[in-house]
Amino acid sequence: MMSSTNNIGLEEILSSLNQLFEGVSTEKVDPRQYKIITPPEKTIPVLEFLKEKGYSHLSILTCIDWIAEKKFELVYILFNWGTGVTFVVSTYVNRDNPIFYTVKHIWPTAEYYERDVHEFFGVKFEGNENCEKPLILELWNDLPPLRKDFDPLEYSKKHYPDREYQKDAIHEARIIRGDVRGEIDG
Amino acid sequence: MGEVKLFFGPNHPGMHGNFSVHMYVEGDIVVKARPMPGFLHRGFEKLMERRLWYQNVALIPRICVPEPDINEACYAMAIEKIARVEVPERAQWIRMIVLELARIANHLWSFGGIGGPTGMYTSMYWAVADRDRVLDIFEELSGARIYHMYIVPGGVRKDLPPKLEDKIYHLLDYLEAKIPEYETFILKNRILHTRLKGIAKIDTETCLKIGVTGIGLRATGVPYDIRKVDPYLFYDKVEFEVPTATEGDAYARISLKPKEIIQSIRIIRQCLEKMPSGPVNVKIGEGSGLRIRVPRGMAYVHVESTRGEYGYLVVSDGGEKPYRVAVRGASYPQGLYGVEHLLPGTRIDDVPIWLDSMGVCAPEIDR
Amino acid sequence: MPEKSLFAPLIAWKNLFEKPVTIRVPNEKREASPRYRGFHVNDWNKCIGCGTCAKICPTDAIEMVEVPDMKQDYGMKPQRPVIDYGRCSFCAMCVDICTTGSLNMTREYIFVSPNPEDFRFAPTEKGFLKKEPSQIKLGWVRDENSDLLDLDRVWPEVLPAQERVTSFVEFVKAYSKEQAVAEAARCVECGICTDRCPQHMRIPEYIKAIWRDDLKDALKWLLKGLESENYLGANPLSSVCGRVCTHRCEEVCAISHRGEPIAIRWLKRYIVDSIPVEKWYETVVFERVPKGKKVAIVGSGPAGLSAAYFLATLGYEVDIYESLNRPGGVMRYGIPRYRLPDEALDRDIAFIESLGVRIYTGITVGKDIPFQKLREAYDAIFLSTGLVLGRSTKIPGSDHPDVVQALPLLREIRDFLRGDGPEPKIAKRVVVIGGGNVAMDIARSLARLQKMKYGEVNVTVTCLERTFDEMPADKEEIEEAMEEGVKIYPGWGPKEVIFYPDRDSIKGLKCVKCKEVFDENGRFNPKFDESEFCFYDGDMIVEAIGQAPDYSCLPEEWRSKLQFVGNRILTNNLRQTQIPWLFAGGDIVNGPDIIHGIADGYWAARGIDEYLRGTERP
Repeated sequence: MMSSTNNIGLEEILSSLNQLFEGVSTEKVDPRQYKIITPPEKTIPVLEFLKEKGYSHLSILTCIDWIAEKKFELVYILFNWGTGVTFVVSTYVNRDNPIFYTVKHIWPTAEYYERDVHEFFGVKFEGNENCEKPLILELWNDLPPLRKDFDPLEYSKKHYPDREYQKDAIHEARIIRGDVRGEIDG
Repeated sequence: MGEVKLFFGPNHPGMHGNFSVHMYVEGDIVVKARPMPGFLHRGFEKLMERRLWYQNVALIPRICVPEPDINEACYAMAIEKIARVEVPERAQWIRMIVLELARIANHLWSFGGIGGPTGMYTSMYWAVADRDRVLDIFEELSGARIYHMYIVPGGVRKDLPPKLEDKIYHLLDYLEAKIPEYETFILKNRILHTRLKGIAKIDTETCLKIGVTGIGLRATGVPYDIRKVDPYLFYDKVEFEVPTATEGDAYARISLKPKEIIQSIRIIRQCLEKMPSGPVNVKIGEGSGLRIRVPRGMAYVHVESTRGEYGYLVVSDGGEKPYRVAVRGASYPQGLYGVEHLLPGTRIDDVPIWLDSMGVCAPEIDR
Repeated sequence: MPEKSLFAPLIAWKNLFEKPVTIRVPNEKREASPRYRGFHVNDWNKCIGCGTCAKICPTDAIEMVEVPDMKQDYGMKPQRPVIDYGRCSFCAMCVDICTTGSLNMTREYIFVSPNPEDFRFAPTEKGFLKKEPSQIKLGWVRDENSDLLDLDRVWPEVLPAQERVTSFVEFVKAYSKEQAVAEAARCVECGICTDRCPQHMRIPEYIKAIWRDDLKDALKWLLKGLESENYLGANPLSSVCGRVCTHRCEEVCAISHRGEPIAIRWLKRYIVDSIPVEKWYETVVFERVPKGKKVAIVGSGPAGLSAAYFLATLGYEVDIYESLNRPGGVMRYGIPRYRLPDEALDRDIAFIESLGVRIYTGITVGKDIPFQKLREAYDAIFLSTGLVLGRSTKIPGSDHPDVVQALPLLREIRDFLRGDGPEPKIAKRVVVIGGGNVAMDIARSLARLQKMKYGEVNVTVTCLERTFDEMPADKEEIEEAMEEGVKIYPGWGPKEVIFYPDRDSIKGLKCVKCKEVFDENGRFNPKFDESEFCFYDGDMIVEAIGQAPDYSCLPEEWRSKLQFVGNRILTNNLRQTQIPWLFAGGDIVNGPDIIHGIADGYWAARGIDEYLRGTERP
């Protein structure tokens, strides 16, 4: 599917990204995948630019919690149906007051991805009026669960009872093996 | 007639899995529809961050029950991409066989699925029985019928058992003979024509706008298939066609399934012919399965599932567990945006047709 | 696009004549595939209770539960896996990682019970359905592709035999960081090694620290062990043990059942070699509260240095008296330099001294300083004088000056090599009697000296033990010696030294066939077949058949109060003798190697601490 003209197209896009948008860095993951890190104020213009250039399919919008760096990384994965090239566009927002801007005007489905990211990380997307509406978790009353500081084990220990077995399985096994005498159930 | 709120959820036999739609209806026309996933939220992505790289192989197939192998393939290939590991050729061919067998199994399963909302249960009995023949192959190959846990980072867990190739050929011959019967019996069936033609329509523009992929998109005439556009494994080394239809309705989507099965049969035959002998896996990192580490990095891998683009974004901080895994479920656009914005105006009984023929799969939305 | 048809469904009728695709449960049974991941079987005789299955289990379904009254052996833990089939995901990772291959899966998959308790189960040879093993069809078993262990050791760079025999340079090179991390990644953290180690070093912990590239943490585990439990598992002689430990731990390593054991010894060496000794103290800070009491230690071998270290960390003032010119005992004068360079030992000793331990060398207790004086000046005494006297075969001719004993010769060689003494006599042809590590040490040292002096090796080793396996020397020592040109003939007992008829020089050794080394009670009682004999040529004969203690430092009035077992002093668990203020350890109490000596030093330090805290000096 990749013709040489498309390759040139890719080169051009990468170089114009650097020329048009200050502070944008690109990194090759493999010949058909590039990671683009953008400053927050450049992210949406970059996304619009890429959509314009054929990277029109938003595969997913998601988030990564870099708790040590106190940042959330927002990741937009764009795919070009013509060339088969994927751009992983990302930007960092502050973890303390995570606010970004919606892209639902560019990709309508982003409304739901943004709700998803809000629910699981607590990032707000300005311009998405439904952003804070619960989507998957019902009556959630704890930290957004995909944050690194949320401990699901602790949560489930707090909320759900543990089950203790009564049976001495080893004793049963010894009877089965004939090491000791005794009765077993079942 | 006033507006009535109707809950359409997993307790309804016509519902496609553990998904629900809150509908506001006037008469039998849907006025508003609100998708409500979350019945199934098992926190896969969170759990993956808390399991070793290898342990996740037992967890991820559960994100998509009828077609678990796409999870295994995406996860393994993303790790290999980050670790820059070259998987042995034989393993790649075997992976293709597995993925295409899974495609056949899942298409057959969805023939069964369409029986629910249309009331044509015979197709379910037929297709499920034939799907079991594919599961027999999986059982011989991986030791389990549903959760294969067979594709692992670095390759596949075991080589093909003796004589399995013959059994696969035999299955392919059988299915090839059977597909025309399906076409006659199911696709020419009056019930299906009545219930599916012109129902749950979507056009190319909407598909592309909201990100619908797979059969949903191809039924509108666009031959987009990730196996062709962004070939992974050896899909660029086999010949196959991408069947399309133009109507964009539920019937068009269902009618593509037997055609896709035929293409999968073609692909598997080529794989069996081209597959060299040799090793079936390499080590991703030094040490035991308890101490596999993946170098720092991030990679996105997507495959063409039966329902469209299915992808994993895997992030490693160089540690013994994934730092983050994000799953791109194929049915996210049609399951959420599609339900909310495209269903109003249709009839109540068309809602399950949408969910089913668009392949809305609750666990991959919930994940 | 096909036309909709009213008649198309009629094709379904033909299925009326086909065999049903369903089976009639429970009358009909369907056998699962040969690879099926069904219920487990576990061969309890093969299982070592290492718990690796429980560690890999992604669903936490496996719990290791102790088996009461199970025979306690080195190399296994008295526990077996219990599986909760309510959690099990039947992934078979437990099977693929099983260190012994005892755990497998079967083709059995049908079990119904209304009682949840029935789903918790300890698999045995009889499986979940309690069948005879011969009736059970195995399902998923591990193969070389699915194996989750890394069976192959990462080998450090080793000088080839031809090269190493030309000098006394340490021939095993240290691991690089990449090598060490890769080797550490093979460990499954079962801790069977810790149980086996006489000092119970925290091996899995320090290996994990290496794997995490946290060398400071690793060093802490070496030098402090379990801090909360009185430093149990610490080893102050890690540079030494990282090179020459007899590594019993590696013999029991869980990985050794199917592959090469983890190179625990080389990993330990990697830690200490990677951090300069000046940095050790800041890495492992000891909070020492001075106790105001003094302890004397006689002998600066492994046990003495170890006791000194632990006593110093407890806040005691410690003086060591060493009769030779340098501290270290057997580590300084016994083990050859190609295995243990002085610098490594110096590092450990430097760290011990940095804790305030004073070492007085060249002072023989009982000669240069009376024992009574120590008794008066110190609150307790630890005796660790080691085995310093050689044993003789006492065969005819063994009183000749060219029949020498290994230990003094090794000492001479080491002194010569460090410029402390003259060149020892290096014969062109040497016969060594003995099958232990000392025999290997002397044989390999002499081989090097011969090679350096004459250009060729001519050393013959002969011993009573009939096979290489029976020989007490480490297998690798035997192999390496042979690679270096030493000839080893097991199964012969020395009979007499043969001289040239015309002059007073040795021609060789006459041996007779050894039929049996130990009698039925396991006691040393060799039996010979005099009819079968042989000669080994040699200008010099070295006896390396064991050593004996020398208690001359101890005045008779005290010696008579002690109890002995053979020629060893009997102590309690805390290495306390029958004289409350006198503790003893090392080869004069337990033996046979450095790490046992270190353990003696540790327990003695705890014993001395207990004793001194309990008594005020009158």
